[in-house]
Amino acid sequence: MVSKRFVLKRLLLLVPVLFGVATLVFAILHLSPGDPARVIAGQRATDAQVAAVRADLGLDDPLWVQYGRYLVDIVTLNLGESYIIQRGTPILTILRARLPVTLELAIYGQVIGILLGIPFGIISAVKQDTLTDHLTRVGALTGISMPIYWTGPLVILLFAQFLNVLPASNRIASQFDPPVYTGLITVDTFVFGLQSGEFAAFVSAASHMLLPAAVIGVYGMALISRMMRSSMLEVIRQDYMRTARAKGQGAKITVMKHGFQNALIPVITVIGIQFGTLLGGAVLTETVFGIGGIGTMLVQAIEVGDYPVVQGTVLVFAFLFTLVNLGVDLTYSYLDPRIDQ
Amino acid sequence: MSRDIDRRAFLKAAGGAAAAATLAGCAADPDETGTGTEGSGTTEAGGDGTEATESGTESEGEGSTLTYARGNDSGTLDPQNTTSGEDVKVTNQVYDQLIMFEPGQTTLREGLATEWNLEGTTVTLTLREGVTFHNGDDFTADDFIATFNRFTNPDYEYYPGDSYVSAYGPFTLGNWIDSVSKDGDYSLTIELNQKYAPFLRNLAMFASSVLSQQAIQELGQELAQNPVGTGPFQFENWDTSNQRIRLSANGDYWGEAPQVDEVVFSAVGSNTTRAQTLDSGGADIIDGIGAQASKIVQDSSNAELVQQAGINVGYMAFNMAKVEAFRETKVRQAISHAIDTQALVENIFKGIAEQASQPIPSNVFGFNDDLSPYEQNLERAQTLLDEAGYGDGFSFELATFKNPRTYNPSPLQAAQLVKSNLAEIGIEVSINQQSFNPFLDYTSAGNHDACFLGWMTDNADPDNFFYALLHPQVADGELTEGQDWVSFDAEGFNTLNVAAWANRDYMTLVEEAQTTYDQTVREEKYKQAAKIAHDEAPWVFMDHAKELRGVANRVSGFVLAPISGPFLNLVSLN
Amino acid sequence: MSTQTQTETDSTRRGFVSRLRASPFLSDLLSNRLALAGIALILAMVAVALYARIGALVGFAPTYAELQSSQFGANPSLAAPSAEYPFGTDIQARNIFDRVLYGSWLALKFGTVTVGISTAAGVSLGVVAAYYGDITDNVIMRTMDVLLAFPSLLLALALVAIFPNELGLWRAVTALTLVYTPRFARVVRGAALKVLEDEYVDATIALGATDPRVLVRHVMPNCLAPITVQSTLNFGLAIIDLAALSFLGFGAEPGSPSWGLMLSNGVSQGLLTGDWWWSFFPGLFLAVTVLGFNLLGDGMRDALDPRMREAVD
Repeated sequence: MVSKRFVLKRLLLLVPVLFGVATLVFAILHLSPGDPARVIAGQRATDAQVAAVRADLGLDDPLWVQYGRYLVDIVTLNLGESYIIQRGTPILTILRARLPVTLELAIYGQVIGILLGIPFGIISAVKQDTLTDHLTRVGALTGISMPIYWTGPLVILLFAQFLNVLPASNRIASQFDPPVYTGLITVDTFVFGLQSGEFAAFVSAASHMLLPAAVIGVYGMALISRMMRSSMLEVIRQDYMRTARAKGQGAKITVMKHGFQNALIPVITVIGIQFGTLLGGAVLTETVFGIGGIGTMLVQAIEVGDYPVVQGTVLVFAFLFTLVNLGVDLTYSYLDPRIDQ
Repeated sequence: MSRDIDRRAFLKAAGGAAAAATLAGCAADPDETGTGTEGSGTTEAGGDGTEATESGTESEGEGSTLTYARGNDSGTLDPQNTTSGEDVKVTNQVYDQLIMFEPGQTTLREGLATEWNLEGTTVTLTLREGVTFHNGDDFTADDFIATFNRFTNPDYEYYPGDSYVSAYGPFTLGNWIDSVSKDGDYSLTIELNQKYAPFLRNLAMFASSVLSQQAIQELGQELAQNPVGTGPFQFENWDTSNQRIRLSANGDYWGEAPQVDEVVFSAVGSNTTRAQTLDSGGADIIDGIGAQASKIVQDSSNAELVQQAGINVGYMAFNMAKVEAFRETKVRQAISHAIDTQALVENIFKGIAEQASQPIPSNVFGFNDDLSPYEQNLERAQTLLDEAGYGDGFSFELATFKNPRTYNPSPLQAAQLVKSNLAEIGIEVSINQQSFNPFLDYTSAGNHDACFLGWMTDNADPDNFFYALLHPQVADGELTEGQDWVSFDAEGFNTLNVAAWANRDYMTLVEEAQTTYDQTVREEKYKQAAKIAHDEAPWVFMDHAKELRGVANRVSGFVLAPISGPFLNLVSLN
Repeated sequence: MSTQTQTETDSTRRGFVSRLRASPFLSDLLSNRLALAGIALILAMVAVALYARIGALVGFAPTYAELQSSQFGANPSLAAPSAEYPFGTDIQARNIFDRVLYGSWLALKFGTVTVGISTAAGVSLGVVAAYYGDITDNVIMRTMDVLLAFPSLLLALALVAIFPNELGLWRAVTALTLVYTPRFARVVRGAALKVLEDEYVDATIALGATDPRVLVRHVMPNCLAPITVQSTLNFGLAIIDLAALSFLGFGAEPGSPSWGLMLSNGVSQGLLTGDWWWSFFPGLFLAVTVLGFNLLGDGMRDALDPRMREAVD
């Protein structure tokens, strides 16, 4: 079982990593070419005006002063204010509005991936080396070989252009102005539907979600089914499984009873790790489907040089990613007590 | 406060859902379409409809909504906080200026001032009475004074800080104004620090939008999210996670009242997706149309492409301060002759731009009809190079921004064209592409050998091109006798003059034109200045981009404006 | 993190001698039909790449300069696939077929560099960390942890912004190398620790072998198989990520016939106008190439000694 000491130790180990992450992000931004003051002041500003802006932002201070201030800000959860994208708005406010957009996409993608990936993986393992297995494996490998920025456009072409049954971009049709409770648009519009009995906004939101989530889901399915298969095979090969089989139980029951739970352990790892990949992949998916989540915002922020936004977004991503990984590790050691603590 | 907003958002949502139901009905039964939309806006056009429109808004949910789709969401809703045209599209709906541009024209008309007079260095204005801000505050002379102070005076109590106010503060007003004073509530006197012909046009710029004194004092920097103006539309909400800004009609508007109940500005990043959205009815008006997007709009049965000459210029500037070869007029002319600007506008910009021959386009007064674009002539180019002593060629770096801008819709492909054209006369070009802001840093420090750049007009005055872009603006002492360029390090150098050009004759003409109030005389001076610029070729004059909009068939009354706008209060939906 | 946790399996332990011989690995691999298919795909792509590259140099295929510059006059703009233009032409009237072929050279070249450098760096760091342990191990692996704390594409995006634009695709390569190195370091460290557990290494050290000798002669050869697997799997990823950076506008220089850039232009401008070929074919070649590496990598992993497989998973 997971001891408190173990959890504590893991949490403590996070501190230097997060400190390193913060330092790396600071270094990256200060090494980047381009003067943030120029970004704010624009084309018509004279050098003197740019200098005034620089002074106003404290960019004239020695680097170590800026670094110290930055660390204090992070600890006090002050990530600064946007220079360009939403001028003057605190980064946390911006992230609070946009993070749910990305999370929602990633969650739906993940769910589709799990729902498809696990059964496929099991089938493939149980029917090892049959045609079904080969087809499933090639399918899965093909799935991870196709980049999202190619499959995304392909499904847009098919469903939005040729068949014209699903919308190609955005999160909801423009005539709807859904209330914001959670920021997850399918949830918000559904709740609104329950209250008003009018589900048109929900239908619109859900149909907008379908294509991008499916694209992410296919990618996730491929990874998960692959992992599920190999981990299932591993378990099937083990002695206690052979014993169970020798006792005369049918192969299928054996698999379900003994194999599944153990085989799931490494799969959980993959799901966890993949969640981080999904967050990263959201950058591409959002770009392809024109969704205004954190991903598109980050690309835009890098392009226009909105440093606080880049900084805050990358930090929050890294923080989330690290937490998810920790969660995975803890789950893992909970499920498999043999792991060296 | 926040509870109010939530409630309103909720009511709006209810309205949205009802509207959706109507739309769904429309699709099923064309007859219902007529009845469904007829009651809402179109028949109530003009001043008579004002009352009806007002009572029809809010939670009733029968409102007509105009959707304007563009490439990016706004960054701010405060006209003093922005240098971006994207932001201005929204602030122009919410705010008015003292003097305004005639929709679709470059001429001036009454705004919050009904009369004005510029004599010598004194401007007197009579203000419109009976105008109220969206917060209920009456508009008076004090509002403009507060607006001016907030923008340009760091000692003003409500000055929002150097990193908040944009460079337009000094650029538009501060650099020219000595003092602003009032004579009663409805009369203003502005003293200029020199004679300055374009000043009235500066008052018509978005940056001169009049803010409410009360709002300045109460909201401060919050005006960036919560604008309070006198304009035809008032701010409702800004949904950043869906990149939408919602405005509602101002029933009390002093001018031509809006004919739709609501305007939604939405952002659709990809040009072609935006065009597709227009085609499928998800948007009523779109901008930011490239070659491919215009194809979609032209093919659409639901919308049409509207176009007009824009007031902008795209060019390649020679940095004479850095590259010795560029100090030879013949080298600059040779390169101008070598680059095929016709192929550039036709093939690469796909006909959404016209060739340029001088700093200003033909729709700005002072345009010199006698000049024509440099034609591609490689033999002539080679001869000129030989004469200048660079017959064996040389090499330079061409700096360019990498993302499309209005005046240069395909910068990277344009750079490729320059590279391959110049290779034919033995000049080797290497391309340095950057994001726009680091690029501006790079060029304003004079680090480039040559660079692409361009300009979108602020006030449709020739001074805004001739003086802003090609005049060094340094004291005479900084200039060197017999040398028609100046160092980027010169005191007070205008870093927008990325060619570092300092031609005395040109400078004299432009300075004189700036202080001449006789339009005929001014015009003549600019024509002469244009001729000098053309012949001396401090730039390769590349193009003037057209303004393109996609407009749905159900929209009527849309006026494509090359400056200011969009004038959405004139638009109605059928 | 989780990948370095050590679950002991009950599988039979093989002696180091048999493990050292690559033959079971190779024969397992060669009996795996999917892996063979992967090898075939990769070889085909290499052939295509060499054809395009040598052709560009020698003259039987279009030169790099020709592929970059617009071809108005020579070809129609945006022509649909036909006998003359098998993959159609793009908006600059360039023959997409030629560009896609050359794109395979770029993808393989930059993929090789990215994976090559990160493998070399990762192997050195991983082996050193495992061998010296203690502070060295901690410093190296915690640094790696910091790099691993970012979703990979995100870190690459942030890093790309540092490097000057004129580096073109090289800055994407540099960024991705930094992103991939920790993965190799971690895999190799795990594998090296297992090798070091074996008594014979202790014996070698006891016999007076120097550090470099132990590392190069004994530890590294034993880590070869997992390194190869990891490299192969990462090769596919590298091609995808490089193209992704180009797709987002932070990779290949303009005009370059890189798959990512072609996809980006084709998607943003050609998808909704019906010019589907513009993005379809670059994407297809990309997917097929990556599939080749994934098939091979997957087969290799199956053929891998179970003890080592954990490190790679």
